[in-house]
Amino acid sequence: MPRDEIPPGTLYLLILKTLARAGEQHGFEIANSIQRISKEVLQVEEGSLYPALQRMLIKGWVTAEWGTTAGNRRARYYQLTAAGRKQLAVEMSQFERVIGAITRVIEAV
Amino acid sequence: MKRFDGGLFVNWLRELARRLSILARRRQFDADLAEEMRLHLEMRQQEHLESGMSADDARAAARRGFGNLTAMQEKSHVVWGWEWFENLGQDLRFGLRSLRNNPGFTTIAVLTLALGIGANTAIFSLVNGVLLRPLPYREPGRLTMVWEQDDHGRPDNVGYATYVDWKAQNKSFEDLALYGSWQPVLQTGEAEQLNGLRVTNNYFRTLGIRPELGRDFLPQDDNSASNHVVILSHALWARKFNSDPQIVGKSIAMNATSYIVAGVLPASYQSLMNQDPRGGTVEIWRVLGYDVSQPFACRTCHHLVAIGRLRDGVNFAQAKAEMDTISAALVKAYPKEYSAPGVILTPVREQLLGEASTPLYTLLGAVSFVLLVACANLANLLLARATNREREIAVRTALGAGRGRIVRQLLAENCLLALLGALVGLIPAYAAPRVLAAVGTGGLPRLDGVQLDWRVLAFTFVAALLTGIFSGLVPAYRLSKTDVNESLKKGARGSSSGATRVWHGILVVSEVALSLTLLIGAGLLLRSLAGILMVPPGFEPAHVLTLRTSVLGQRYDDNKVLRQYFTDALERLRVLPGVEAAAAASQIPLGGNMDRYGFHPEGKINANPELDESAERYCVTPGFLAALRIPLFRGRDIAPGDTADTSPVILINQAAANRVWPGEDPLGKRVKVGGLDHPWLTVIGVVGDVHHVGLDAAPSMQMYIPHAQWPFPDGDMTFVIRTTRAPNTQASAARQAIHSVDATQLVSRVMPLEEYVALSVQGRRFALILIGAFAVIALLLSVVGIYGVTAYTVAQRTREIGIRMAMGAQHSEVTGLLLREGMVLIGVGAVLGIAASLVLTRFLASMLFDVTPTDPKIFALVVTLLIVVAAAACWIPAHRAMRVDPMVALRYE
Repeated sequence: MPRDEIPPGTLYLLILKTLARAGEQHGFEIANSIQRISKEVLQVEEGSLYPALQRMLIKGWVTAEWGTTAGNRRARYYQLTAAGRKQLAVEMSQFERVIGAITRVIEAV
Repeated sequence: MKRFDGGLFVNWLRELARRLSILARRRQFDADLAEEMRLHLEMRQQEHLESGMSADDARAAARRGFGNLTAMQEKSHVVWGWEWFENLGQDLRFGLRSLRNNPGFTTIAVLTLALGIGANTAIFSLVNGVLLRPLPYREPGRLTMVWEQDDHGRPDNVGYATYVDWKAQNKSFEDLALYGSWQPVLQTGEAEQLNGLRVTNNYFRTLGIRPELGRDFLPQDDNSASNHVVILSHALWARKFNSDPQIVGKSIAMNATSYIVAGVLPASYQSLMNQDPRGGTVEIWRVLGYDVSQPFACRTCHHLVAIGRLRDGVNFAQAKAEMDTISAALVKAYPKEYSAPGVILTPVREQLLGEASTPLYTLLGAVSFVLLVACANLANLLLARATNREREIAVRTALGAGRGRIVRQLLAENCLLALLGALVGLIPAYAAPRVLAAVGTGGLPRLDGVQLDWRVLAFTFVAALLTGIFSGLVPAYRLSKTDVNESLKKGARGSSSGATRVWHGILVVSEVALSLTLLIGAGLLLRSLAGILMVPPGFEPAHVLTLRTSVLGQRYDDNKVLRQYFTDALERLRVLPGVEAAAAASQIPLGGNMDRYGFHPEGKINANPELDESAERYCVTPGFLAALRIPLFRGRDIAPGDTADTSPVILINQAAANRVWPGEDPLGKRVKVGGLDHPWLTVIGVVGDVHHVGLDAAPSMQMYIPHAQWPFPDGDMTFVIRTTRAPNTQASAARQAIHSVDATQLVSRVMPLEEYVALSVQGRRFALILIGAFAVIALLLSVVGIYGVTAYTVAQRTREIGIRMAMGAQHSEVTGLLLREGMVLIGVGAVLGIAASLVLTRFLASMLFDVTPTDPKIFALVVTLLIVVAAAACWIPAHRAMRVDPMVALRYE
């Protein structure tokens, strides 16, 4: 199955949504979640997750804390903040607006 | 919408804080990021291994999926905004190196800036300590003075009976309190006269201050039967009572009776309500304890000051409207006890600091000119240096540095320079409060709070950064436009372009204009002070010693005993060697007291006697005129024969004679003083006017009443002794003479009368010294600047000069050529400076005396001075250039 690049700008939305669903995840888990749930269609260049996460830390959308994985390794776990949840709502509505518009354009006869 | 913006700003601040906190722990952050990415790669690799890949393939696949590791790390850096900080660090390091390589330039620049920034920091610390620091009261914005309004629309103190009505009838004030002057003698250890206040029991609650120890005054303290209750300041408690923790409830001896200490105020509270400008800080408060039946509690007994706290939600206009209505009703009910209806509200801030704010902000404005001159000077230096740096910049541009980056680098260097200057400038600024105190500040309030607090340091920091950026903009702009090819071709020596010369010109012009403005200000102030000191005070202050006393002891409640005490003390003073005359008086001219009584001349008394004139009252012993050498124009002086048993007499001054009996002979006329129920006094003489309030205030009506006849002879008196020797050398002999009559009596404030005169002009001297110092600093900086620019121009034109001289030009011609250029700039600067002064000197108007803000003589004098000095600064380097051998000059390149 071919993998598609994610549309630009949606990476934040994907991370926010993933964290909202999972609660607390480290970078590798976030990448895996996105791939798994998208049924392997969405291809995230895995490394690009990290600059995005840094930016989200600065914006105060997520917080990070070091913890240990099931395999007993040190990993940095990210968690949504209240501001992050608000941002998720904003990005969702924006996304739906855009998708809706695009859909209307293509379906127009 | 506004709210939204505010939220954005807060978010931005939070973001900045997060960035900075990460920046501070960047090593940790780098390690975290690396570890996180490594973990990711390893887990992915593990996954691939488990799905059956070889180890190498698994690692390669994991890397492929991850993308460029280094690029991701760098992207994260960019996200954090480190690039900016990292570049800044580089710029600063580079700047530091460049400054270290030019120690001469750096030293001059730093010193210039230290002068400019140091002077500004010092004055700002003064403004901050006196004006900007919050007042020591709870919600001071709601506190206001409440004055009666007299028939001339001026504020007047209130009588107790009026206050009682005000307090009962108003709805605008949460609380309304009174205070009045009180100077008790404390008999703990060595007797000492204190500066204190009598206050109503709600005084501290009105201000919003609680005692640190003990209790506040209570309503039950505030009655005429039991009002011997006091509260101490923290300083007095520490100084006189060793910070005794058990002081509350103890009794202390004052004025030969005992008082109970109710409480001690916190150290942070320093009283600002001071009734006596020469008396020092208030250290003790006694409950007022008046009763409307008492004679001194009357409506016309204007000796108390009212202060109120507005109710929450009531504004000044509403409060004034209500009080005006109450006042109008009172005037209607007691038409002979008020001169006019209405009240005046003065917000407490204006009352306490209003007088200080104009001079202080004027000083701040003046000192900012010094900083501007320093900026211009630094810009000149940088511009000259820029020419020599063109090659360096060209090389860096050729190597790929962008223009923005170069400008930023130069600005970073300048800010570094300015911060160094600020650091050096903090040294004099730190010492400033002590220096200012030594100069004598002319009664500025709250000087104890003048120090380098965070506000001052923030001011200095911002001033330094602005200075660095401001003075660096022009040179940086010039440099950033450097033509790479041209500069590299020209070789090591740069040459000034036309644009640089224009900038030099602009900077010199502004330096001259700024210095001239300051010099004119200083000139006007100097002329004013000189003018004031020329004013004849109406008495001869030289060779007079003054000693203040406040008689205490119950036996002195007997008027006879009291009068005898002064007679005896004066007899002993008069026989001291060198003493020509001695007397005592209830107040002395320029002494700071404001003791005025209503003056009711027979046959000319108004239907409402409150509308009659008032006069300054001097209650004196015989010989006062001789001791102060106040001239007697007509009639006779008060004599020892004027006693309680003879017909009461009075002396009036010329001003009173002219005002009350114009064209009539005042001698033999009769007058009542202080109220119509008092006896008639007969005018026996007319004396010269003395300046009582200040040398700059026209004398008003004055009267002299014999201490032997006034029904309530003053116990608080000042001895005045005219001696043939230096007054201070007589101090201990005089003190002993007084103590030989009664050793328990306190003698304080022993000082020559001339010192009172000096104190009265202290505020002017203070302003003059500071503005004068600024003007001198600005002039020096400008001279250095003009000299530098001329020297630089000459150096740039050495070749041209050589050619001209080789062609046979005379020295004088070439010098003239160089001078002309400088003089044009100085002339333009002078014209601009004059124009600025014409606009700005009006801010000095309140500090000027006998001279208009645009006095042509001062302007002409100062402009001449400046032009001569500036011309010299031009001429020296120009003249030097003439000594150059033409051959050397031609080979100069």
